[in-house]
Amino acid sequence: MAYQKKHCWSILLRLYHWAFALSIIALCITGFYIHEPWTNTLREGSASWPMAWMRFAHFIAGYVFTAAVIARIFLYIFGNKQERIMDHLPVTPRNIKNIFSTLLLYSYIKEGHDPDRLGHNLLAGMTYVITIIAAVFQLISGFYLLFPELAIWEGYGLAIFGSQQWARYIHHLLMWWFMIFALIHIYLVVWNDVQEPEGLVSSIFTGKKFTH
Amino acid sequence: MADTVNKTLDPRLNRRGFLKGCTMAAAALGLSESVVPKMVEAATSAERPTVIWLHFQECTGCSETLLRGTHPDLARLILDIISLDYHETVMAAAGHQAEEALHDSVEKNAGKFILVVEGGIPTAENGIHCMIAGKTALEILEEIAPKAAAIIAYGTCATFGGVQAASPNPTGSVGVDKLVHDKPIINISGCPPNPVNLLGTILHFLTFNRLPAVDGLKRPKFAYGRRIHDHCERRAHFDEGRFVEQFGDEFHKLGYCLYKVGCKGPETFANCPVARFNEAGVWPVSVGHGCIGCTEPDFWDTMTPFYDRIPNVKIPGAGIIADADELGTKVLAATGAAIGIHAAVGVGKRLIKGKSDSDE
Repeated sequence: MAYQKKHCWSILLRLYHWAFALSIIALCITGFYIHEPWTNTLREGSASWPMAWMRFAHFIAGYVFTAAVIARIFLYIFGNKQERIMDHLPVTPRNIKNIFSTLLLYSYIKEGHDPDRLGHNLLAGMTYVITIIAAVFQLISGFYLLFPELAIWEGYGLAIFGSQQWARYIHHLLMWWFMIFALIHIYLVVWNDVQEPEGLVSSIFTGKKFTH
Repeated sequence: MADTVNKTLDPRLNRRGFLKGCTMAAAALGLSESVVPKMVEAATSAERPTVIWLHFQECTGCSETLLRGTHPDLARLILDIISLDYHETVMAAAGHQAEEALHDSVEKNAGKFILVVEGGIPTAENGIHCMIAGKTALEILEEIAPKAAAIIAYGTCATFGGVQAASPNPTGSVGVDKLVHDKPIINISGCPPNPVNLLGTILHFLTFNRLPAVDGLKRPKFAYGRRIHDHCERRAHFDEGRFVEQFGDEFHKLGYCLYKVGCKGPETFANCPVARFNEAGVWPVSVGHGCIGCTEPDFWDTMTPFYDRIPNVKIPGAGIIADADELGTKVLAATGAAIGIHAAVGVGKRLIKGKSDSDE
């Protein structure tokens, strides 16, 4: 069986992926510092401003994260066949069938992917949709915490979270979702690459997948 | 030393104290000194607004803070510029006399008086958890609120239900704005609120004939427009990364930031660091205790534990209350373990079946 090289991910999706991934790493590290600062500058007047710098880095990473989420939502509507949201939701018989075949695959019962799918399997696709929804709440709570006096963020923030403290609480809990998601995501990507070498890991750099 | 004994006993307010109070209110409102004469004029006009002060489910701490300031001028000023027709704590009348005064005043000043509400309104079991003169708080509010010109909800109980509204809120306590929808309402929250904010609101109403601008929770922006954190005198220590690790340690003595011992200043809107209390220039953070967020909705539920940054996570059904990060670490570890098991099963299957790579 000969391998066929197929174009799967657009350049914007790949840029989105890496902006999202790297900003999440930066946001988690700086976010943990902001939540529970671990340094304690003992020298008076040392002017190292660790909290101010961590917050600054957190806000920049937050803007990168926001841009990535906007790009992903754009691709859900205007992306290629693999990127559109209809390929990720259990709304067609083909997609619903894929949930069960993927579950069987992940339980080591069945072998081989559904040959008719080039993009995400349904479990992955639905998890990404949930993650993007979580990301939207994460960025609304983040901007509400950053600009509480601005009418637009005050309005959304109060309507969704009720108070600054609730926004901070939800913001913190959702961070754990992103960390747990990242762990599972990396494992399953490598696992799939081992099970069926279609170039899954390299596809997020090159945009190409291999089918046979 | 000031003649504090005479001052406390002297019921009259001198001119100096009066002007000082007006200036303080103007400063709290963020208005220039040129408005002070206008305020003085409004405050000294013959037409003093009638105020009816209702007490519901509360501890009277709001009135106490108002009346027992170190410097009595503020309370006197407020009581001097208004005609306080009904206030259960300070009125001389009692029983039927008091009730009569209330009804006479409501009838006489219908549509003109300012209604100050102190305390939450219990709504569970038709409101029987708070009854005055045989009527529930709910009935009293329903009777009097429609006749008021404006309503000032004073204190966190009257604004957001208060401590008794803490989960599971057995008496169904709610703030005034949950029950009254067709009147201008201003929320002066705090447990207790700073009397300067009440004085500022009343003087604003007298001078400009309308209530001051409010935020999304109906709190006046002049007092609740900024977070405590943004005006805190310990803010530089926060940015510099200098924190109190535990109460009484070396850093606490040096006056470092109280963020790590649970100060809720970064999520609480109030003017405490600016207005301060009791004219002695103090407020909680200045004396070494973090803010507990008492001006925010549901502070008893959302700001506790008071000495941690965020609330614990309740697991529904299991009744388990856990620290968010402890729980997160456990879930992350469980995920890691599940991944390990999944990978081990895959390796085991490959070993047993002796799967070859022939299909590649």
